[in-house]
Amino acid sequence: MSNKLIDLSNISKAYGGHTVLDELNLYIRENEFLTLLGPSGCGKTTTLRIIGGFETPDSGQVIFDGQDITHLPPNKRQLNTVFQKYALFSHMSVAENIAFGLKIKNKSRQYIDDKIKYALKLVNLEGYENRSPESLSGGQQQRIAIARAIVNEPKVLLLDEPLGALDLKLRQDMQYELIRMKKELGITFVYVTHDQEEALTMSDTIVVMNQGYIQQIGTPEKIYNEPENAFVADFIGDSNILPGIMVEDRLVNILGATFQCVDEGFGKNTPVDVVIRPEDVDLVKPEDGTIRGVVTHLIFKGVHYEMEVTANNYEWLVHSYEMFPVGTEVGIRVVPFDIQIMNKPISEDEEAVNLEA
Amino acid sequence: MKQALRRLYLGLIFVLMYAPIVTLIVLSFNKSKTRAKWGGFTMQWYRNLLENEQIMNAFYTTLIIALLSAIAATVIGTMACVAIQVMGRRSRRALMAIANIPMVNPEIVTAVSLMLVFIALRIGLGFRTILLSHITFNIPYVILSVMPKLRQTSRSTYEAALDLGASPLRAFFQVVFPDIVPGVLSGFLLSFTMSLDDFVITHFTKGPGIDTLSTKIYTEVRKGIKPEIYALSTLLFVTVLLLLILVNYSPEKKESHVKKTITRATRIRYMALRRVLPAFMALVVIAGGIYYGSQSSLTGGDSVIVYNWGEYMDPAVLELFEEETGIQVIYEEFETNEIMYPKIKTGAIAYDVVCPSDYMIQRMIEENLLAKIDFDKIPNIQNIGSTYLEKSTEFDPGNQYSVPYCWGTLGILYNKTKVDEPIDSWSVLWDERYADSILMQDSVRDAFAVALCSLGYSLNSTDLDELTAARDLLIQQKPLVQAYVVDQVRDKMIGNEAALGVIYSGEAIFTQRENPNLEYVIPKEGSNIWIDSWVIPKNAQHKENAEKFINFLCRPDIALMNFDYITYSTPNTAAQELIEDENIRSSTIAFPTDEMLENCTAYRFLGDEMDSVYNEFWNQVKSN
Repeated sequence: MSNKLIDLSNISKAYGGHTVLDELNLYIRENEFLTLLGPSGCGKTTTLRIIGGFETPDSGQVIFDGQDITHLPPNKRQLNTVFQKYALFSHMSVAENIAFGLKIKNKSRQYIDDKIKYALKLVNLEGYENRSPESLSGGQQQRIAIARAIVNEPKVLLLDEPLGALDLKLRQDMQYELIRMKKELGITFVYVTHDQEEALTMSDTIVVMNQGYIQQIGTPEKIYNEPENAFVADFIGDSNILPGIMVEDRLVNILGATFQCVDEGFGKNTPVDVVIRPEDVDLVKPEDGTIRGVVTHLIFKGVHYEMEVTANNYEWLVHSYEMFPVGTEVGIRVVPFDIQIMNKPISEDEEAVNLEA
Repeated sequence: MKQALRRLYLGLIFVLMYAPIVTLIVLSFNKSKTRAKWGGFTMQWYRNLLENEQIMNAFYTTLIIALLSAIAATVIGTMACVAIQVMGRRSRRALMAIANIPMVNPEIVTAVSLMLVFIALRIGLGFRTILLSHITFNIPYVILSVMPKLRQTSRSTYEAALDLGASPLRAFFQVVFPDIVPGVLSGFLLSFTMSLDDFVITHFTKGPGIDTLSTKIYTEVRKGIKPEIYALSTLLFVTVLLLLILVNYSPEKKESHVKKTITRATRIRYMALRRVLPAFMALVVIAGGIYYGSQSSLTGGDSVIVYNWGEYMDPAVLELFEEETGIQVIYEEFETNEIMYPKIKTGAIAYDVVCPSDYMIQRMIEENLLAKIDFDKIPNIQNIGSTYLEKSTEFDPGNQYSVPYCWGTLGILYNKTKVDEPIDSWSVLWDERYADSILMQDSVRDAFAVALCSLGYSLNSTDLDELTAARDLLIQQKPLVQAYVVDQVRDKMIGNEAALGVIYSGEAIFTQRENPNLEYVIPKEGSNIWIDSWVIPKNAQHKENAEKFINFLCRPDIALMNFDYITYSTPNTAAQELIEDENIRSSTIAFPTDEMLENCTAYRFLGDEMDSVYNEFWNQVKSN
């Protein structure tokens, strides 16, 4: 990808003694769709607001296109924001809302009219110029908010949980819309969400954050398949996170049973966390498995069955197309490639907030 | 049936709410000056009102102060709200609590403290101080109505505006302000109304020569409210009503919310709200500024500051004095001695010449508040009858501090159609035949004077046994009394509602004119003679002008003008000679003979301790 457009270096921010961001480093490339993902309170919104200029970091620098903009007020920055609650100006018509930024820049009447038409077409709301924002649905209002932001031709569009207030179906539609708009506009999107599915669907890069720290940066595939620690594994999708001991390269002991894996370089007899995705757990006949267990729960989920299997005093979460009734004795097997080994967290901060599975 | 009851109930509520206003409106068209009689339809009072410079002046002052203070308070209050909004929760709570104090604080406390601050800072009491005070007490109302609106607005709309390139100021005015306009407007209107309404704070912070409607009307209570005021109140009510109707029937309500489009009409209204209204206000304010600028420029020259009872001097007299002497009169009015007294005592304003009553003069002499008058400068003192100077020695021994201005007696007014025997004694007020037909004065000293005199004691008695006897007598009288009233004695007697009433002689002359069946008598046991006299406070800045003013008032032609205007008895015997109307000149009500006055005594100030004894006994009478 191309060069760095935004570079955050050593950003710290605290509110009344409570640290929200601690020495955060992050860069965003031109034309990238970058998502800040994490649970509430992880610092993702603060990061976005620092980029937008609504908060000033206690220390650190924000570089935008080679210039230090750390102390530049929001109205002087070449980026625009789409707010979680739309933030439309209710006493103005849709057209006036969209024209707001352009009027401040003293654009010509003709230019503004053209831009309004273009923006409404882009968000599929042609002909809504004279409507009042209050008469529109939530989804429509969000589109107007996007239109209002993009007519200013920002280099970066910041989106703060823009789909959070919409219902599921609408949210999925809007995800596709956003990807389409992003392609049409060819600008950088910085997107904040706590919804991992949203992040996986749209992003080029995902930044997983927790408690003011970046936990992992990577493509959606990498984040999903190779979580770097238990928090990421737990936050992205369902996981079995098990305590294990790395016996040697490519061999791990989990709950007393030895599994083949593909990881190397952890040393000998090192305690580690092991992540196994539920869909990667294969249920076989008891005698064919690495460990034996008994099915204790069974739920039909539509595409697959979700089961809990108790084996070696651990409840394994299993997704399978096959159905095993409760009480069935089964064997558990995992393909070596599907076993993900992670270092135990070093510091307390890095430790996963033990989200209940 | 249920329906009918419901309507009746609703009707009753409306009657109770609007009956007083209807009464007022009807009275404003009443030809007769008294409330008790319908004298035919007239527009006279409306005409008088427009010609009455004093009232119109007060009216204009009221509007200007209301408008200016409301605008200032709205601006300051709104800015305060913006600041409070961005504070932390704890400091916001603390600040809101502080901001609310002026609202829950008793008005009188606010008023007195403001006055003290102005005096301490040596800010001369006047238009400025009233304005400052009104702004002060209006700010909490603005905060109260703007704050909730501001809290409703989402912070993100403001941030969105910044995000789109607006400067913070522009973002506030284009995005936040339109959302809080209803709150700002209601804060403004509330302030405007509170300012229009205010009496107490204005009273304490105003200076001489300036009046708002409320203080102007209040100064008139001693002589009864003039019908012009009814006319003015009617006009005010109708104006407010029209405004309300206009506001409530604006077409805004007809728009449906669901498919609301922003139309030309809303745009025009928005324009009106944002451009025309402020422009209009600015115009009024500027006009007011010029008007007051030109007014205050007059005060530069030689002047005299007069502090007098309301409605207690013919305005033409003041004009004449200014014309003849070139001294400008700054004229202020008070309602009661007790309201006048603290203003002199604190020295808030250096009045040059004041007109208190007898007992108050005694008290002020005792407290060393008065300056001795140089009688060489007042040759016209020779026009004052010796009887009155002699009676004055009761409160001003040696006649050194005061020059009598008006006087009168306390007596019995009776209706000849209801009382056939000649009356000459207070004892008639205890006569069972007139049960429920007797009106007593609702004031301590007057009520006790009646009882003490009828027992043969002095009305300045400080003997507890005598006072106890007087109290018991008053309690004994209670079942016979129709009402304890002040002003209404006059109206009730004119309206033939009672047979006997205790009343002052000045009122008696007026009532007789309205109802020839009424007769006034000073009972033989003696009664109160009251004298209002001119005095010069110690801190007067223009003592010589004050003496010129007093001398001027003692001139027979001037005293006559005032007698015609006030209708209270004048001690100016030379003026009495000049009265053309034979009936009045020889009226024993206006000018009782010396022997009729023989037993009459002025009230003396009995000291704070005795005052509270009187008050306690009076409470016992009233609560018995």
